[in-house]
Amino acid sequence: MSGAAALEVRRITVSYGARPVLWDVDATFPEGSLSAIVGPNGAGKSTLLRAALGLIPVDSGQSLISGHPARAALDHVAYVPQREAVDWDFPITVGEVVAMGRYRSTGWFRRVGRADHAIAEAALDRVGMAAYGDRQIGQLSGGQRQRVFFARALAQETPLLVMDEPFAGIDARTQASLLELLGELRDEGRSIVIVHHELATVRERFDWALLLNVRAIACGPAADALAPEMLARAYGTGAEALQWAG
Amino acid sequence: MGWLIDLIPLSYTDAVVVIGAAILGLTSGVLGSFAVLRERSLVGDAIAHAALPGVCIAFLLTGAKDAGSLIVGAAFAGIAAAVLMVAIEHTSRIRPDAAIGVVLSCFFSLGIVLLTYIASQNDASQAGLEKYLFGQAAGLLERDLVVMAALAGASLLVVVAGFRILKVALFDSDFAASLGLPVRILDIAMTLLLVVAVVIGVRMVGAILMVAMLISPVVAARQLTHRLRTLLPLAGVLGAAIGIAGALLATGSELPTGPVVVVVGFCVALAAVLFSPGRGALWRARHVAAERRRAAFEGVLLEVETAMHAGPPPTTEELRLATGRPRAQLATTLRSLERAGLLDRDGAEHRLRLTEAGAAAAHELEQRRDLWAAWLEHGSSLDLPDAREPDPRDVRASLGDDAADRLQELATT
Repeated sequence: MSGAAALEVRRITVSYGARPVLWDVDATFPEGSLSAIVGPNGAGKSTLLRAALGLIPVDSGQSLISGHPARAALDHVAYVPQREAVDWDFPITVGEVVAMGRYRSTGWFRRVGRADHAIAEAALDRVGMAAYGDRQIGQLSGGQRQRVFFARALAQETPLLVMDEPFAGIDARTQASLLELLGELRDEGRSIVIVHHELATVRERFDWALLLNVRAIACGPAADALAPEMLARAYGTGAEALQWAG
Repeated sequence: MGWLIDLIPLSYTDAVVVIGAAILGLTSGVLGSFAVLRERSLVGDAIAHAALPGVCIAFLLTGAKDAGSLIVGAAFAGIAAAVLMVAIEHTSRIRPDAAIGVVLSCFFSLGIVLLTYIASQNDASQAGLEKYLFGQAAGLLERDLVVMAALAGASLLVVVAGFRILKVALFDSDFAASLGLPVRILDIAMTLLLVVAVVIGVRMVGAILMVAMLISPVVAARQLTHRLRTLLPLAGVLGAAIGIAGALLATGSELPTGPVVVVVGFCVALAAVLFSPGRGALWRARHVAAERRRAAFEGVLLEVETAMHAGPPPTTEELRLATGRPRAQLATTLRSLERAGLLDRDGAEHRLRLTEAGAAAAHELEQRRDLWAAWLEHGSSLDLPDAREPDPRDVRASLGDDAADRLQELATT
């Protein structure tokens, strides 16, 4: 599907009860680029990701992954949810979590073959966690846990990676090395869309950004989308301070 | 079933009880995992309590105490309770714990009302229905076993076949949904598995205490493994052992089965919670105490060294005032420093002085601490090849000499 955007949402509206969380949002995320979704708290960033992947019902609008309706294109996308949603005392090892990335392509009832194990191990190695395969996930630090989730997404071997606040509560060293990894993946031709809150990082390291506050304020090359007047519209009067603090 | 009963070297009735208890324990251990790991243990409790009115209504409709129809009644009531809890949770602002409480008490009181009504009918055939309150293993029939075994087999087959799906849905339902799994339906399926476990067990353990059989084998098994693949069969085996032990004890002493089984289960879970290696409470307490002692040991060692640099060797009292350490802790720590040969007491005033070995130990400790401080400051620019993270007590050993040397360099420049 050359020519189609990696991810495109068209006029999506989502509401919880009477209050719209997303209002008529249009956005495209081009293929082979590192894109960020940016916006204040409660702007609907996570909701947009979930709606774009078809994980929650929408009031109206549609979402396309490489030109296909999202629910029909699940083989094209790996999703990394927020880490808070997970019970870290769950009886499961690092290796098993990463192997989950292979389940959809292996089939739910077939054995995970040697090739799949090799892919999972390579993914774990790529995030620097090769030595941790047998650990229970609860024994890891926050940064290491996020690396495991990255590895699971890598093991899915999809052209599109979608991540919800992957750097929330992560130490600087992990963030730096995972950001570098995202850059490498982009250079390999994969498309990446993440929710992120550090404006400075987005401006420096990302190709593309969607500035969101219930509505789409701006969507385009990161520097343009995060121009001061745009930020003022998204964040209100605190924008100036935020821009430098970010 | 006959061959299996013959196989067990016990009287016919005891053999039936043992098999029944084993099936009950196995299923409640395995299926109870789907309550405990989803943090929905009390949903199991409500479903168990709901079995009572289900059994009563089935009896009123059929007029007979047939195991099959009573089980169907219990199952329907359990499902109704589960649906009601979900509905209350989704349509109102009532929280899950309150929804569970309301449903549980409502169904159970309905059960008691029906039980009393049935008893007042003076119908001889109703005798024994009250056994569903606290459970009764004795009097279990061979054809009851067949029903239990069929249900158990079917539900365990579902777990084995769908293991991978259930694992993903249990661990990370958002991710499961992104793989295209119907997480809502799986949620319902896991609740239905709980209903099956309750229905199998309620005759023997009783509506009131059934929840313990869903929880205690899982709690015990969780202490002993950190893999779901091991946890499920282990919980099943522990559940079966608990069930058999409890049922035999109860039939031997003519006590109601439920309470005896539950007491046995509690003992097993308690033992695991206390004594399991690595996760057990005692192990952890010892670990924490040892860490505290180590921290005090190292802290006092450095404090004596600092004091000796600042002036004349301190007395114990001076050191206490300077460091603010509790008197008892300081005294024991000084004693262990002495025993380790790192500390001497001089003269009539017992002034504290580090021995040669003590000075060397203090020096080495300071270097280690500097390295940890260097990691905190420069760790992010170290650019390690993998996700290793240092042990604060010994950065050099955990990161390797190469990384430690580079850290030292970064700290000095």
